[in-house]
Amino acid sequence: MESPPRLSNRRALSRALTRASRASVADCLAAVASSPHDPATRIGITGPPGAGKSTLIARLAATRLEARARMAVLAIDPTSPISRGSILGDRIRMDTVAEHPGLYIRSIPSRNAHDGLADNICEMLMVLDKHGFDEVILETVGVGQADYEIRNLVDTVVLVLVPESGDAVQAMKAGILETADIYVVNKCDCAGAEQMLHDIRSVVDYRHVEPGEWRPPVLSASITDDSIAELDEAINAHSLWRDDHNDADLHRRARLRYHVESLMSRRVAELFDEARSDLLQRPIREVYAELARKLGEVL
Amino acid sequence: MSLKGKRILIAKPGLDGHDVGAKIITLALRDAGADVIYTGLRKSPDYIARVAADEDVDAVGLSILSGSHHTLLAQTLDELAKLGAANIGVFIGGTIAPQDTQALLEMGALGVFTSEMSLNDTLSALEAALS
Amino acid sequence: MTTETKPEPAPAFTPSGIEVPVLVTPEMLGNPDPGLPGQMPYTRGIFANGFRGRRWTMRQYSGFGSAEESNERYRFLLDQGQTGLSVALDLPTQCGYDPVDIVASAEVGKVGVSLSNLAEMEVLLDGIDLGAISTSFTINSTAAIIFAMYLAAADNAGVPRASLSGTIQNDILKEYVARGTWIFPVKPSMRLIADSIVYANQESPRFNPISIAGAHVRDAGCTAAEEIGYTLANGLAYVNELLARGVDIDSFARRLSFFFYVHMDLFEEVAKFRAARRIWARLLQERYDAKDPRSLLFRFGVVCGGSSLTAAQPLNNVVRVGTETMAAVLGGAQSIFTSAYDEAFQIPTEQSAELALRTQQIISHESGIADTVDPLGGSYYVEYLTDRMEDKILRVMQEIDDYGGVVKAIEEGYIQMRIVERARERKRQVDAGQRIVVGVNRYQRDEEHAGFGEVFRQDPDNRRRIIAKYEAIRDRRDNVRTEKALKALASAAIHDDVNLMPLLVECCHAYATVGEMVGELKRHWGEFQEPPLRA
Repeated sequence: MESPPRLSNRRALSRALTRASRASVADCLAAVASSPHDPATRIGITGPPGAGKSTLIARLAATRLEARARMAVLAIDPTSPISRGSILGDRIRMDTVAEHPGLYIRSIPSRNAHDGLADNICEMLMVLDKHGFDEVILETVGVGQADYEIRNLVDTVVLVLVPESGDAVQAMKAGILETADIYVVNKCDCAGAEQMLHDIRSVVDYRHVEPGEWRPPVLSASITDDSIAELDEAINAHSLWRDDHNDADLHRRARLRYHVESLMSRRVAELFDEARSDLLQRPIREVYAELARKLGEVL
Repeated sequence: MSLKGKRILIAKPGLDGHDVGAKIITLALRDAGADVIYTGLRKSPDYIARVAADEDVDAVGLSILSGSHHTLLAQTLDELAKLGAANIGVFIGGTIAPQDTQALLEMGALGVFTSEMSLNDTLSALEAALS
Repeated sequence: MTTETKPEPAPAFTPSGIEVPVLVTPEMLGNPDPGLPGQMPYTRGIFANGFRGRRWTMRQYSGFGSAEESNERYRFLLDQGQTGLSVALDLPTQCGYDPVDIVASAEVGKVGVSLSNLAEMEVLLDGIDLGAISTSFTINSTAAIIFAMYLAAADNAGVPRASLSGTIQNDILKEYVARGTWIFPVKPSMRLIADSIVYANQESPRFNPISIAGAHVRDAGCTAAEEIGYTLANGLAYVNELLARGVDIDSFARRLSFFFYVHMDLFEEVAKFRAARRIWARLLQERYDAKDPRSLLFRFGVVCGGSSLTAAQPLNNVVRVGTETMAAVLGGAQSIFTSAYDEAFQIPTEQSAELALRTQQIISHESGIADTVDPLGGSYYVEYLTDRMEDKILRVMQEIDDYGGVVKAIEEGYIQMRIVERARERKRQVDAGQRIVVGVNRYQRDEEHAGFGEVFRQDPDNRRRIIAKYEAIRDRRDNVRTEKALKALASAAIHDDVNLMPLLVECCHAYATVGEMVGELKRHWGEFQEPPLRA
């Protein structure tokens, strides 16, 4: 196979991502005014911390790069609520593929986002669209059921669990656990893997599936087998299914809604930061009215 | 003091395996508000520069206790320049003979921080260098 | 006012966190009789006559640049009265890269000597009688290879293997935690260690095939109690590995030795060694049912210096090393390395290296502290501290057991995290002035870097010459034999029940390089994956 073309403008891309990540809400709105590019295919990988998401992504990316020229990985790590700093640790798990000339990896702190994603994630994804990536893998923080929101941004949601994530599974019952498109039980050579597979299968089976609807596969993976190929195929299968069944307009509207909601919630945070220190001394109705008024101002 | 919003890469170039200092500075930077990537052991200057450029960090810290700081700094600066990322500053920490500090600064190091400096002094100096 | 009483002094603690009473009285001791040296539980020493029978080995760690330069330094130190060699190897050799490897480029011959093949080993040992000295190699992930090379060098020099004495560090577990020169994953690394221990027992029974080291975790920041606790836990992991192969405990336990740092709290350091001897002897007897009394003996070497030395006011380090050497002698060490005062920032000069050796010679011959066995035995305070150290050490070992064993704790980065926590705590205390370090946070001088004396500079042409020699040996050797030896090594690596040592010795005889041997093993075994930073 011919080697894929090198990403020629990596440095420009990385600086554009920095600008997008730091942009104010006003700047974000100004940026989307121009005509949007066709979005890249997006795969979301979620699951509790320690499930081996990053290592799995590295292997998945390596496999998918055989058929694609350019892929990007956005890996989100949590921002410390105390210091507002973060340790972005996913990247070193991806060293095995980091050398690939067609791959771009970017580590992102969650900042104010509480849904497993990050501030301005929509803007950053748009920067990637503009740079012509074939596919983007988005790794969430993995905080539990909140990671449900990722489905608004991606085409396929992969939930990664490990035999030890029993408690996490309980916490996810109401959200992501019931809506993922593909399930992976990682580290399947560890004790308890069979039980976990069984539990997930029963959750999936419980989901009411109409004829023609997507039936989520439950895969097992470990470092020693070639289960990545299975995951790769499952993603392709889901992608084909989507081409026939997905309501593109519905999906577009869901993305737009998520985007607007996150901008508004960031704008509220900005307003609190800008507000006079006595704002929160006032009664709740007044605070609300004040913020609502300011939200109404055109940026 | 705040390094809030600064992106910093802490790297272990070469083969030296003493990583506690690198880990302490990683945590200290996080606690000062920075977003920190730690590479882990045995990274080549070429790899470090590529990660720094792709991640668009504000600065790279090289932790070196093997005495190879001159070579590794020179190589890292060189690789950054090749990637069009010469604007990314590089600072050095570890076991550095006091008489070497000046030479490293002249080569272009943003700062030289040894383990005997207090963490606060190190962070303040870094903050000043990055503002 | 006559009723006024003096205020109670503020509480004091040892660096391990043991509260230090203002006065210790006999009632505060559990068992005031520590027993006798040379007898269970060996608190007072492993030999009945202490240093009166035999002094400790003075073993200065050195080696740098090329084999020729190191050989010259060794001969100098042997002429000065040193009784053992300690070989420092450069990082490429320690991490399994040949000097031509691109990742090695900045480090060839830097922190030790480059030993990529048997020819270099022969130059290193030229003119030194291997049957008459003991040689210690600070080598871990490639320890089996360097040991094989040493055996091959002895074979070529006509020295019987049975007459060789010395030590290879060969302690991979602490490399994953604190020193970082790992190559392979934990499991095959443990196999390589077991192979070398079994082989050493058969071929060179006077050679110590492992020196289980706490020095590096200590230097990285943990306390004296953790240093011993983690190291004994590692030691037991090696014991278990050998027992799992069906090897009899008494056939190897007497060849296990240990290696620690000595830091500045003199009595705590002495207590640490006394407690460690007692715990090890009891574990081997009670848990492992060792019958041979020699299996119970906790033998150890030490380094005086390390991270207790400062770059600020470097001559102060002479006093630190002197104090620490006394702790090592009073603690009953079998070998002592005294650091040079300039080691905190450079490779020691000949002058500073000599002063370091003189320090222990003065303590040995002039101070008189080595003339009676365990002179501190029966001291209320030292016995009190020994008991409390023992408790603390056992708690550290229990914590690791509770986590699921030392291998799991290392693979998941648990011990690494504990060490970083400790190091941060120590840094915070020094920064805040709660822990005084003279010259660093107390009594600093503005003109801080005056008085280094001579500065050691390496020959910048070293790397080129090392590479030239390396290329030459690869041209000169019998490449058919080399290929064959490497192939045999590769196919044996797949089978757990084959001892790899004879195959490595043959590779060395065939002038295969360290990088080639490691390459074959890496292909089958893969590499260790560093756990992410936990905090």
